[in-house]
Formats: sequence, structure tokens, C-alpha cells
Amino acid sequence: MSTASTQRDTVSTHDGTLQITQQPVQVAKRLEKFKTTIFTQMSMLAIKHGAINLGQGFPNFDGPDFVKEAAIQAIKDGKNQYARGYGVPDFNNALAARFKKDTGLVIDPEKEVTVTSGCTEAIAATMLGLINPGDEVILFAPFYDSYEATLSMAGAKIKCITLRPPDFAVPIDELKSAILKNTRAILINTPHNPTGKMFTSEELNTIASLCIENDVLVFMDEVYDKLAFEMDHISMASLPGMYERTVTMNSLGKTFSLTGWKIGWAIAPPHLTWGVRQAHSFLTFATSTPMQWAATVALRAPDSYFEELKRDYMAKKAILVQGLKDVGFKVFPSSGTYFVVVDHTPFGLENDIAFCEYLIKEVGVVAIPTSVFYLNPEDGKNLVRFTFCKDEETLRSAVERMKEKLKKK
Amino acid sequence: MEEKLSSVAKTFTPSPIQELSDLAQRCNAINLAEGFPDFPAPPCIKQAAVSAINNDFNQYRHVQGICDQLALKMNKMHGLNIDPLTDIAICCGQTEAFAATVFSIIDKGDEVLLFDPCYETYEGCIAMAGGIPVYVPLDPPRWTLDPEKLMSSFTSRTKAVVLNSPHNPTGKVFSREELEVIAECCRRWDCVAITDEVYEYITFDDQKHETIASLPGMQERTIITSSLSKTFSITGWRIGWAIAPASAASAIRNIHVKITDSAPAPFQEAALTALSSPTKYFETLRIEYQLKRDFCMKLLSSVGFRIQFKPQGSFFLFAELPKDCLLSDVEYVKELIKQAGVVVVPGRGFFHGKSDLDQHSDENCRHQKRYIRVAFCKSDATLSAAAQKFGELMNTRGSPKLYC
Repeated sequence: MSTASTQRDTVSTHDGTLQITQQPVQVAKRLEKFKTTIFTQMSMLAIKHGAINLGQGFPNFDGPDFVKEAAIQAIKDGKNQYARGYGVPDFNNALAARFKKDTGLVIDPEKEVTVTSGCTEAIAATMLGLINPGDEVILFAPFYDSYEATLSMAGAKIKCITLRPPDFAVPIDELKSAILKNTRAILINTPHNPTGKMFTSEELNTIASLCIENDVLVFMDEVYDKLAFEMDHISMASLPGMYERTVTMNSLGKTFSLTGWKIGWAIAPPHLTWGVRQAHSFLTFATSTPMQWAATVALRAPDSYFEELKRDYMAKKAILVQGLKDVGFKVFPSSGTYFVVVDHTPFGLENDIAFCEYLIKEVGVVAIPTSVFYLNPEDGKNLVRFTFCKDEETLRSAVERMKEKLKKK
Repeated sequence: MEEKLSSVAKTFTPSPIQELSDLAQRCNAINLAEGFPDFPAPPCIKQAAVSAINNDFNQYRHVQGICDQLALKMNKMHGLNIDPLTDIAICCGQTEAFAATVFSIIDKGDEVLLFDPCYETYEGCIAMAGGIPVYVPLDPPRWTLDPEKLMSSFTSRTKAVVLNSPHNPTGKVFSREELEVIAECCRRWDCVAITDEVYEYITFDDQKHETIASLPGMQERTIITSSLSKTFSITGWRIGWAIAPASAASAIRNIHVKITDSAPAPFQEAALTALSSPTKYFETLRIEYQLKRDFCMKLLSSVGFRIQFKPQGSFFLFAELPKDCLLSDVEYVKELIKQAGVVVVPGRGFFHGKSDLDQHSDENCRHQKRYIRVAFCKSDATLSAAAQKFGELMNTRGSPKLYC
């Protein structure tokens, strides 16, 4: 399926004759930022060439049985009608309990938790509910591709701060001159997709004091918080003075390998939650009911589940990272998520997209070109992203293919 | 920190339906308010979802088979030629399909016509996209469309018309003549029709649902939204779609991906089973809902209502309070909860202010506070229980005692 627009200018009329006609459905101006995603494009190329897909960030193994069984039970028990718009009460309670366990914060599940169709919708609802057209929002590049799109839907002005290799540290001076009195919000993803960077305590505290000083909101995307390997994950909301201005977003998908269930949530103080809930009610109205019941069970998983998850992923990461190094990539350290970013330039391709196409067609492996994650694509042209959320055999096979066919120039 | 809310969010008020549901729940009332069934979903469809979960259909996916089946259905039901590869976007319910549609074609300042009374969510969506809702009142008691009122509502800024048929809250099914009037306006003003057809399989008597897209010159300017929810009694699964000309469908798909990324995967699989249900399923659906409709009409008549408009579709009955009842809709609903333990929805939430077209605005607007909406998508047991409660409302002289 091509991304080129198929201008249909003939149509069958009621009596079967063809009629040439102008295309009357004009799409809105805001859609300049909306194209078919790079993930879809790469995945289709991958299928065509039988390539091993280390591009798209979802597992090729499934979620735990105890969670799947809970969903099945919910369906059988008849929990198939509209859930309460902002979440099934029991699920909201479980989310509050989990949040307390993770951050120490005590929150009101009825007023401070909103359940959404995945973290993607939590982000969309937060932007649309809390951002006015013309508001300035700060983003860190590289960034997950829905941020820019939903910010443009909300009519925001984007100010971008670029994180650079090798450690993708936050450039503090640039940050200080960026966060000003007219900044409305800053969006932070930690652990970070695509780099695997985790914002340090120092970085978060610096950002926090600038936000307090300038009365700025913080939107935190923390979907990979349980995939924190090299350091502890810190929630901005838990820092002094920050809960009242933070929306903390997360989801079930990455932690429980059920990315297709679309269960996410936003936690925020009541005055911010209200805006998120309003937008959410017009975007999707309610979230999948049986999956919420199952998610309630999932969140109450014992600590051993999360420890095993980390161990499994660390083993997978070791295979991929060593493999990529052996092949000849320059591999940047990734502290969290199931992604790792590498410099592909040793292989002599012109840019990241050219490299990824070459990798699919000639080597049979998929990576994602990172230029799509930047406002200025030039900033990403040397980098590509690999994922290790695949079973070990798949990872080893991919590494073998690259060792065999990918040669340094 | 109210100033932190976006200006659009600030204009929104909590759903009146939701609030009354909370009151009803506290009083343990019989719920004839919210529009979802209290009877189970079809077993084979549930089983399909269970199988999907067991067979590991749990990661992000797009199930193309849904598009294939929808294209077949649209052709069979309406004679439309839909390309399943390019003309359909699968979304999280009709709600998301509508939201993505609105964001795909409405720019700031675009006017969107809506028929009043109307489902409360459309306006919020349009406002979020920077559009301006413009209401065209349908005329009580039979909610007829006055072509004059429609035509005089179009301006050079009108981008789209929203058409919900079968209609929530009135149960009206727009007639072929009315569809032609709307179509003519769309063609003349080069506007888009955005339809909400979620009740498409719930029509009564001889009434058939027709999509405006099947009228001459309309397919290329119509975006159809619908879902599995009402047809298959699975309102909590969030599987819906938009069907549109390729460029619009592509835009809607791209927006959907940025709003939610994908509809729940196992339920997309189950959708394949649902959409291939035999004809008998749809016939039974109609017959059963028609029986419930008739039961409800009798029920309301027994407590003094004179039903002037028999629902032609959907599972709602929109009834005007009896002439000698002096209560407003909200007062009546509250009394009904307290005295009879039954909850319905006050009609005023579906109306949107005075029409500039009405010369006798005040007079005509009084009706906006005189309707209740009753949902009959409930089990026979629930409806019988409601009937019994209503029965208790009659005093010894056989008159309803609710408002005497």
C-alpha cells in the first residue's frame, strides 16, 4: 500500500456510468505533519524481502497467561459494555495503588486517574485538553512520532532541544534559555525512545526548578518505566513541588507484552485531569472494558514478574548489543527501553534511510531510520534504531545475517 | 490552576447522562438511560475474541479482513463500490472514527451543520478541531426536516453536515426525500456529509436504513462512520470505522494512528466473525428490538404519555411529557428515580439553544425541556421490572401519581 495519495477522480454513479469529478473532500491544513508512519513503510518493505524485523517496537512473543486469562474471564463474565469513561473503578484503584508503590505518592483514583486507549491516546488527550493554539511546548529530539503530530493538532508552537550522542545528555544551558515565562509545557519521555536514555536525577531536578520558576506544565511519557536497566527510573511527579503541574502517562503494552490491547492512563492532579478527561471523552469516549479488568490483575503482579521481565530483556539486550558491536556499528549506551541506537556510518551509506533500505534488501534485517524522530531530519541521519523486544533466536539470527552480509567500507 | 486548561476544554461540562447514571446507581434504579445493552453479547462473537487472545493476536495490528468484509456489506446493502485497501480506516469505536474524521477535514473557522436535537459528543469534537457547530432544528413532534431551515443555514464557511440516522435521541430514520434535500445542499455548496450510522441495523416496521453516500454525487463527498457496538451488543470493545474516498480515508487513518495507534487487536479478530454473521442474526436483532420498542411505548402510554412519534430506528424513545404534567424534564427524571426507581435521560441535553431561524424562539424552545429519552436496549427482565415500577405509579383512581 503506497503512501502516495490516490486521487480518485472518477466515480461510479448510481446508474453505473463513470463520471469524472473533482475531489471534493479536501483534507485539513493541519495534516501536513501526518503521513503514513515510517514503521508501516519499513514493515511492508520487510515483509516483501523476508527481513527480520528489529524495527517496529512490539514483541514477537506474547503476554503472560495470567493476564490473558483475566481478559478471557472478563469477556465470559459479560464485561463487554461501555466502561465508565475515565476508567473501570477497580482499575483506577489498582493504578493508584501501583503509582503509590512506584513513586510513594498517594492519589485519588476517582479524580486523578484517566484510562485511555494506550499511552498514545493519553498523549493526544493531554495535548488537546491542556494546550491552546499558539502555546509553546518544548520537546526533546529525537522524539516518538505522535508527539509532533498531536501538538500540531492542538495548534502548539514547538520548541525543540536536541539530545546528541554519545550519551544524549540534556544540554543544560540550552534548556535554561528555552524554558521561559511564556512556555506552556515541556514533554519528556523517560526511559527514552529511541535512544534508551534515562533522564538522571540531576537533569530532572534542573528541569523541575525551571518549571516551577516559570510555571510550566510537564507531560511525562513513562511507558518504559519497567524496562529500566542501568539506573532507577525517576518519576518527575515525585519530585518536590512537581505533582501539581505534572501529567504522568503510561500503559500496559510494553510492560506486559500486550501492545495491541490499548490500555493506557494519565495520572494528574484534578485541575489537569479534568482537561485530559474532556478531550478523552471526545476522542474515544471509553476504553476497552474486558482489557481494563485484565489490566487490574496485571498491575497486581508480584515483584517477581517485573524482576523476571528485566532479566529477560537484559539478556536479549546483551545479545543484540554485543552482536551490533561485533558487526562494526558504533553502539551508544542504552539505559532503558528495549531500543538501542547506533551510528551506521562505518558502512558507507549516505544517510539513515538509505542505510535502512540497504539493510532490508541486501542483509534481510529491519532497523528504523531515526531522522523521522527529529524536527530537522539532518540531526538523525547518522543514526538508526534497533529493538530487542524479540525472542533470542530471532535476535541471534539477525546478528548472524548482519555479520555475514554487512561489511564496513 | 484553571487557567491551565485549554480554552476549548473550559467550555465543556460533564455529561448529564453520566451524572444521572451516578444518581441512579446510588438509588439502585433501573437504568433505562444509558445506551448500552444489559443482556449478553452473542456467544460466538465472545468466543472469537477469546480464541484471538489465546492465539496470540495481542500485539499492534491492522486486520485487513475487516475492510474486506465492510466493502462487501456496503455493496450488498447500499450498492456502493468501496475499495477495501484504500477507503476504510479501522478505529477505536465510532467515537474515534468521528474524531479522526473531524480532525481530517475541519480547519479553524469551518462551520459544521448539525441537526437538533443531537447526540452530545459531536459538538465537542468539532470545537476541539476549531470548527463552529451550527444547529438546524428538526421540527417536533415528528422531527421533520424543513428544507428552508437547512438551506438557510449554509454559508460560504460551511464545510460539512453531520447526519446521524437512525437518530439518537429521537429514533427518527431520515427519509429518502430528506436525504435528497441534504444531498442537494451538499452538492450545491460543495460540502461533505459526515454520517454516524451506528444504529444502521436497528430499524423497525418497513423502515430501511439508507446511507446518504448511495445518493447521486454523494459517495465522493461522504464519510461514513459506524461500529460494531450497537449491532453486536459489544459497546465496550471499541471497534469502529470510517469509510470515505481514498484521500480522506488515508488522512483519517493517519490521524487515528497518532491518536490511538491501533484498535484493540483481539477484538479486531472477533470483528471478522461478527461481520460474517448470517442474515438471520440481523433479522432477529430487528425483531427483538422492535418488540422492546412496542413494550416501551405501551409502558409510557400507561402512565399518561401520548407518544406522537413512534421510533423508526435506534433503541431510543423520545417522549414528550404529558400535557398536564407541570414538571420540567429534569424534575420529572429526578422524581421518576425517587418514586419509581427508574432512570431515563432528560431531553434538554440533546438540544442546543435557540435557533436564530425561529421567530417565536422562546415559545418553540420550551419544548426543549419537555422530553425524556428512554433506552430500550435492555433485557426483557429489566423492561418488565420497569413496567412493574411504572405500574406502582398509578394511584387508586388510575391516574399517574408522579406529578399530581
